[in-house]
Amino acid sequence: MLKKGARAKARYLNKTFRLQKRSTPALTLESFKSNSILSKSKRSQLNISFGWLFAIIVGAVILVLAIYGATKVIKTGQSEEQAVGAKEIGILLNPLEIGFESAISTPLSLRIETRIFNNCYPSGNFGKQGIQTSELSFNRWSTPGVESNFENKYIFSKSPYTEGKKFYIFSKPFEFPFKISDLIYLTSEDEKYCFDGAPENIEDEISQLNQANLVLGCAENLDYTKVCFGSGANCDIAVNYNSNYVQKNQDKIYFEEDALMYAAIFSDKEIYECQVERLMKRTKHLLNLYLKKEILVQKNCKSDLGSDLDLFISILENAKDYKVINEVSELVEEIKIKNKYSSCLW
Amino acid sequence: MKPKKSQMKIQQMAFMLIAVMVFFALVGLLIAAIGFSGLKEKATALQEKNAMLLVSKLANSPEFSCGEDFKSQENCIDFDKVFILKENINKYKTGNKNFWRVSGIEIIKIYPKNSNFIECNSNNYQDCSKITLISGQGISAENFVSLCRKEFDSEKFISYDKCELGKILVKYEKAQ
Repeated sequence: MLKKGARAKARYLNKTFRLQKRSTPALTLESFKSNSILSKSKRSQLNISFGWLFAIIVGAVILVLAIYGATKVIKTGQSEEQAVGAKEIGILLNPLEIGFESAISTPLSLRIETRIFNNCYPSGNFGKQGIQTSELSFNRWSTPGVESNFENKYIFSKSPYTEGKKFYIFSKPFEFPFKISDLIYLTSEDEKYCFDGAPENIEDEISQLNQANLVLGCAENLDYTKVCFGSGANCDIAVNYNSNYVQKNQDKIYFEEDALMYAAIFSDKEIYECQVERLMKRTKHLLNLYLKKEILVQKNCKSDLGSDLDLFISILENAKDYKVINEVSELVEEIKIKNKYSSCLW
Repeated sequence: MKPKKSQMKIQQMAFMLIAVMVFFALVGLLIAAIGFSGLKEKATALQEKNAMLLVSKLANSPEFSCGEDFKSQENCIDFDKVFILKENINKYKTGNKNFWRVSGIEIIKIYPKNSNFIECNSNNYQDCSKITLISGQGISAENFVSLCRKEFDSEKFISYDKCELGKILVKYEKAQ
């Protein structure tokens, strides 16, 4: 059988060779035979069965899906960690509600280089404080995670984010004329400030804080952000302590009380304006509480503050922007003195 | 016969591949379930931490604190102010969330002892022992505080500060 087949194959090759020889006279039988075997082996290499093709395609689809799924899981894990981190930062700020003590500084060390986004929303009953974090992994900043929101916190920091591995947080109560809230100042260890010509009370407070990125005197600290009080050369931030404004990047930021002065120094104008607007909203709610408290305790205690509190509320309701704090400063002083003598409301 | 055998092989392979995909999908679901159960625990732990830290400092926040008006300053709640706050608590709510983002806040008097915790309202204000600012269910974190208010001595015709021992409770819910 085999011999018969081989003879038929040889006959077929000879016949094909003779036909080819007519068109190409230089062709030899040996070269023709080797060429025909080569072309056959090439054909057999491409001859993949449908089963294999199907397996390859479906295998590739499974691999793509697996890679896509794994990337999604990693991204979800990353954003989960960031969301937890943002929430934790917010929660850790709770103890900074310090009552009547003066400013206290707390360091916050993180595992890796992190950006803390400070988002402020002025709309609503009290406005909202948003915190987001983004981490540096493989030399790339991840997209900021889910935002954590708080109505009762006021964070002053660089906008839109402050970056670093170690941060410093200090807080100070803002009284206008009663305590409105504790303001939180967030700075990274890379943001360094030196204070030049600060009044004695500010100098005492900064030295008491003992915060590594805040120093008194700017003579030897050239890479620091220079904060000048009164006159000074090459100032990055100029504080006019008597006229209650901070000059920063050609912007005039108005303040009342030392708590807001620090806020103007450590934060950007947008964040400052938004947070002061939120603080004024809370002031209005507290004024309403004290107004009603005055009626409740009038049998036991006469304060005579009702009309002033009413006026304060109406000014805040008609306020156009944050600069209302300057408009009401005299009224605030008056209310403060009246309450001091009556000792009734706060 | 030949085409039928090859068809069988393809069918076998297709079923095998589907089985592999289902297997991977199940493994993925298992991992996701484990991951999400961890997330719930984390969320509850964060809520607990928030409540614990909040309760220790809530008395010092301006809506609660005694201020300079009363001599006791730290961890002192102005009972008059909190009573007014209770009547205006809706202003401190946005949708189903409140200003402090907890499920409940209660203030109770514990000394002088009063076995019946009577909720305060405008009729029983002098003799009540409990103010529920935000009524909600959940696990509570608590802290001792002094509860102070202005009283009037009708015999001596003077007003004085009356302070009692109390507790502030902050409630939080487990993540579902």
